[in-house]
Amino acid sequence: MTHPNPTSGDARDDQTGRFVTQPNGHVRPLSPHLQIWRYHLTMAGSILNRIAAGALSFGALFVVAWLGAAALGPDAYAGFVAAMGSPLGLLIWFGVTLAAAYHLTAGVRHLIWDTGAGLTPKTATTLTLVSMVAAILLAVGFWIYLFASGKVSL
Amino acid sequence: MSRQTKAFVKGVKVSERHGAGEWTAERLSSLILIPLVLWGLWGAATVAGAGYDGARTWVASPVNAALLAATLLISLWHANMGLKVIVDDYIHRPSSRSLLLGFIAVLCLVLAAASVFFIVRLALGSAPLPAGIGA
Repeated sequence: MTHPNPTSGDARDDQTGRFVTQPNGHVRPLSPHLQIWRYHLTMAGSILNRIAAGALSFGALFVVAWLGAAALGPDAYAGFVAAMGSPLGLLIWFGVTLAAAYHLTAGVRHLIWDTGAGLTPKTATTLTLVSMVAAILLAVGFWIYLFASGKVSL
Repeated sequence: MSRQTKAFVKGVKVSERHGAGEWTAERLSSLILIPLVLWGLWGAATVAGAGYDGARTWVASPVNAALLAATLLISLWHANMGLKVIVDDYIHRPSSRSLLLGFIAVLCLVLAAASVFFIVRLALGSAPLPAGIGA
């Protein structure tokens, strides 16, 4: 960057969209968008974590719908279970489980980083790989248990 | 606070406004949600395939009802903060951003209110809706 310390003049004349003027008048570089990044595992882990967050917000609707169905009585609950027990319904819940598992493990990884630990490139990559593998094991293990115990079937 | 104020902790620049509060709230909610989400997975495995009676019995337990309400309320609080960060990152037009943030906040509040309403009714063993309303 040719402007290590950009002034507000730079932001005003900026044709590239790299700078943004904060409400307090400070000029800060805009955080780079997805297409700026060269692939590395921590970058993929970060983007996937944000996708998982969005998926979980969507999943919250289904959890509240489950509570609503239970509160509406046996007929409503039977209809909800029939819809959620369909292949599409099970796929949605598997997605919610996977998103929850990854948001959990990636969140723990982030909390470790927040203490200032594990931030060297090698350790950060290892932590990201561990969070991904642990999330898949947790989600898949959960569903193997559900099917093996007969609680869920196709 | 004046624009000239510079706050430093251990030589590191920290937020002069409410940024640190949001940062702390995000971390605090994350920490509380770690055990709650693991408990929630266990609860989901208990309720899966248990049918209407199984689900009602499970939520009728005061411990389950309280933990479920806490999990949902803290999750929605955490989700509102997280979605705000995403919107702040990608939506640059102030009017669109305000509108979207307002919509997300209202949606989270409605979901939180609905969750508590349903959980309280189920925990108290109330009759199926809408029978109890107005009765």
